[in-house]
Amino acid sequence: MSFSVTNKLFPSNHKTVFVLDHTPYFGISCESPIELEFLKARAPGFIPMTPICKSLWTSSVESAIEYCRIVWDLFPQGKLVRFIASDTVAHILNTWSPSQQNLSHIMNAMSLIGVPPPHAINRNLEYTVLHGLRAAIEALSDCTEIQGKKMKSQSFGDVQTKLVNRCRVICITSARDNDSMKRLEEIFLSVLQQQNKVATGSDRLLTIDHCHLVIINTFPVNIESQVNNHSPKNLSPILTTEVHSIKAPLISNKLSTLILEHYNLGSTTVTGIPMKEEQNASSSANYDVEIYHSSDAHTAILKGNALDSSAIRTVKDGLEYETVTLKWCTPRGCTGSELQNCTAMHRITPVDVNSRPSLCLINFLLNGRSVMLEMPRKAGGKITSHLLASHGGEIFIHTLCTARSVLEDPPSISEGCGGRVTDYRITDFGVLIKQNTLVPIKTAFVEEGNRPMQKMKTRLNRHTKYWPLTISSTLIFNLKGYIDPLPSIITKEKITEDEVFQCRRIIYNLIALESKNESLYPLNTGQRVKGQKREDQYKAMWNELETLLKKNLHTADHRNIYNCLLECHKFNFDEEKLSEKVELDEALRELDHIGPSKSEPDAPRASVIRATTDSPMSPPPLTSINPPTTKSSTSRSTGIYSAPRTLLDMFTSQEKVKSRPEFTGRSTGGSVAKLYANHKYADSGSRGESMEVE
Amino acid sequence: MAFSSLYEEKCAFTRDYTLIKNELQNIEDYDKTCIETALHGVNQMVLGEWGNNTACQVILITDGSTGLGPMSLKESFATVNQRSATNPFPIPFSFPAKLHVVCVAPPNDPNLVKSKPLYQRLVDLTGYDGSICIPESPLNETTVVNMFQKLAEDMYTSFKGTLKCGNLESKIILSPAPVPYTKVTDFDYQSYTISELIEVCGFISVTDVGSPMAVSRHLVLPASSNKDHLPLTAEIDLTDDDATDEGKVPSFCVLLHGALKVENMAAVVTLAENWFGFVYSWADSKKKSNLMLTILTPGSDVVPWLGDLNNLGPSDSPTEQMGSFPVRPQEKRSYSQNGVVWIRQAGLQSDIQKILRHARKLPEKTQQFYKELNRLRKAAISLGFLDLLNGLAYIFEQECMQLPGSAHPDCALQLQHAAEVLRKTQNRDIKYVVVPLQTNYNSS
Repeated sequence: MSFSVTNKLFPSNHKTVFVLDHTPYFGISCESPIELEFLKARAPGFIPMTPICKSLWTSSVESAIEYCRIVWDLFPQGKLVRFIASDTVAHILNTWSPSQQNLSHIMNAMSLIGVPPPHAINRNLEYTVLHGLRAAIEALSDCTEIQGKKMKSQSFGDVQTKLVNRCRVICITSARDNDSMKRLEEIFLSVLQQQNKVATGSDRLLTIDHCHLVIINTFPVNIESQVNNHSPKNLSPILTTEVHSIKAPLISNKLSTLILEHYNLGSTTVTGIPMKEEQNASSSANYDVEIYHSSDAHTAILKGNALDSSAIRTVKDGLEYETVTLKWCTPRGCTGSELQNCTAMHRITPVDVNSRPSLCLINFLLNGRSVMLEMPRKAGGKITSHLLASHGGEIFIHTLCTARSVLEDPPSISEGCGGRVTDYRITDFGVLIKQNTLVPIKTAFVEEGNRPMQKMKTRLNRHTKYWPLTISSTLIFNLKGYIDPLPSIITKEKITEDEVFQCRRIIYNLIALESKNESLYPLNTGQRVKGQKREDQYKAMWNELETLLKKNLHTADHRNIYNCLLECHKFNFDEEKLSEKVELDEALRELDHIGPSKSEPDAPRASVIRATTDSPMSPPPLTSINPPTTKSSTSRSTGIYSAPRTLLDMFTSQEKVKSRPEFTGRSTGGSVAKLYANHKYADSGSRGESMEVE
Repeated sequence: MAFSSLYEEKCAFTRDYTLIKNELQNIEDYDKTCIETALHGVNQMVLGEWGNNTACQVILITDGSTGLGPMSLKESFATVNQRSATNPFPIPFSFPAKLHVVCVAPPNDPNLVKSKPLYQRLVDLTGYDGSICIPESPLNETTVVNMFQKLAEDMYTSFKGTLKCGNLESKIILSPAPVPYTKVTDFDYQSYTISELIEVCGFISVTDVGSPMAVSRHLVLPASSNKDHLPLTAEIDLTDDDATDEGKVPSFCVLLHGALKVENMAAVVTLAENWFGFVYSWADSKKKSNLMLTILTPGSDVVPWLGDLNNLGPSDSPTEQMGSFPVRPQEKRSYSQNGVVWIRQAGLQSDIQKILRHARKLPEKTQQFYKELNRLRKAAISLGFLDLLNGLAYIFEQECMQLPGSAHPDCALQLQHAAEVLRKTQNRDIKYVVVPLQTNYNSS
């Protein structure tokens, strides 16, 4: 694999340990009084209060916590941070366990530690940050959950990449001078080497392949530090160190710069956010809000046009990093209702989380609205480059495609295959879509071997056993008034007794309808089915219904419904069954011969369709065939037997068939012919094959 | 693009064949072979035009030389690990790209034999399976033309597959053809190749989908199905139509498109093992509507608000088993937690002011006053900011003295009480909660 990939693997930011100096020195004040504006305007009787100052400890704790806030907002998983406070011993505030990787855990632990102890509680004990650094190194050789998993899969033979244990220690302390700082680094290295020796002999511990030690040397504002900064230098192949000497109130600014490097983040300043004034709700002013996110969100715009990108990059006062300024674009309509062409997506967090402008932007987004961000172009005009939106309480920056699209001037779908067909069953497919709308299934109910997604495929398979694409290729699906809800019941995995009963009722109703010789088609729907005689309608209807039911024999209950159909309506395809029934049929045969011929469609109660050997290709049955007619009202009321056919009927019809194309069953030389093969293609339109998979 | 120690864009991206041909006749000879320069140029040109997300083919046509001395490919490789952020090595490209090195040189050219491993390294660095093309022996017009012919055939094979939804399916072509994707996480990398079978596994409303990150987008074009079945259908049904007209043969794709458009839904599809995408109706500005496939990053957890895509099931599942969109993370982010950040003075100031505002409206705001007071107190204890507790007690006492005569008597009592509690060091435990003083005014 290319070096770019292996370089990205196993980043140092997977494991970070903050070592906070908790020695008595850190209890002293920063000497940077906090000005409370609202106290200045007090009446003359007001006695000035002693100024409020943060201690070195408070400054370092709040800055370190702010660092974590940003990390955990942007990377809910996989970026772990631990805290160790150091005085006479190391106080470990949390572990690598994900349950302890959150702000409230750290804040609680901090309150238990309390402020640094005052001087000279016990003169025999040594107050030093080294206890913490030692503990940090031990923590770094502990396996995290993800590292453990990776190790396990490696020992199972997955040796694609060997686990590399890279990590980082950020130590906030105060050193006297450069020499003591240098000693600190050297001690750290020797402890690190020691720990690696221990780890080599242990199967529980990991050797530390590389550690990045960042030392923040801090002091009150009224003191000049004797410690110089030094940029990253490799003290050994396994240790890189850097030192930043900084006044306590500025630790946070320094960490902001460092966090961008450590996690490869970028800063965006959303400018021109219209916001109501706190005091005067009728006027609104424009505000800026700075956010952090992965720097990848900027790749597209910064790597493109150099002129455009230099115009939007600025360095803010007092900070060392660049921010990209993009303009708030008042949302028009609902941008969430269409899929944007989004090439990257990253979580964001506001830099100043509690400021009014930040809260205003955050709440706007959390309430479900989204904001487009615009980038001005040197060549004139501007381009929408990003989208800010919240999903499930998390806010993301979506990078939109600003470049030329390769899909310029695409043909419309109506110009391609199937594009000129106008009678797709779009509404019916819409119903299928609604029936198969997805929802998240709670993990507790997920079977490992058969995930819901797998079940969905099976389910879609079941729902489409018989599904004609166009209106003109189906009859039954156009007869919703008569056959609903049978199609939706029959495609269920399991059906209840009630539903079986419902389906039977539907079949009986159709029989009754047929007996009344009512047209199935009340409206002229522009069908092209040949011979719109009623008997043909019914014949096609029965055949199609049979196909539908036959393809959906999922359980005994489904079979029950299918059998009901077979019992109610005689299909000629099952000769064996038919001959068994001959005796019964004979009893009814005479009834069949009574009544007017079915060729007279207007005759009352005349044309009951029989199932014949005629395929749908055949012309309408000839009048010369002894037409089976209505039966006595008694047999009708039982609803079980409709127009049974006799053997004679069959023979006669077969005689007539001779002049037509030979049946498939015969022409293929006695092998089993597929029933209603042609019917299927005819009814499902020209794409029959793709529609019906056995 | 022509290159030497500098590069020159000869003509912009175009489909105009004659334009390209004319430009090619105007290429002049310059000083030397500097492949790295050319690759920088390619990066610039493609990013400017197509952005960092469009898959491209880069064809490097060379005589088999990698240059000499400074700026030669050999030199470039020698310094590849010492690059700064301002002068990075141009490969891997900033966009998905296959690099094909086409050597117009006799296959046994000693120069070429030396260059080949360097070219190969270049191709490998891109991370995509490019190639090195060498004409067959002997070097003449025919063999060179053949070489390019073959390259074109390899490069421009369109993606043919099947879009399936249960028993309904349609042959499709994806345009542009998707390329394999290598997903790199902190602990792993894996390459994924799209399967020929794209299977629908359910539907989600476009609003719920949001706009997740896409690896790429492709038009889904219905392809003509197997012609074997056509005569049959024609015989039966479409007697008066031209059955061979593909436009009139119903296609599942078109049906799917229509229904998705009407319902404003997207179909969730599987593209390969543990790789998903969305199919939906898309219209460009010219009102031409089309079926579009958005390919997500491989993996089932790539859209946080949809949860694990493998755990999406039917909406008629038992109620207790179902969640709803959007799937929420277990923990709230800091911006919805009402946390305390006092790094900037304004943050602390507004927190104190909030408490004082409530204090002036006691006893109506007793609950709010103590809620905010406890929030601030808890944070101050965690941060070891004890100065603040004493300071606040002092402010309360001052506030008390300045109360106007019209103030409610409870106001003074509660402020005095709060100040006392804040000063007591034994109460400096976050578990301790300051409760309102029971007075005659609020005991009811």
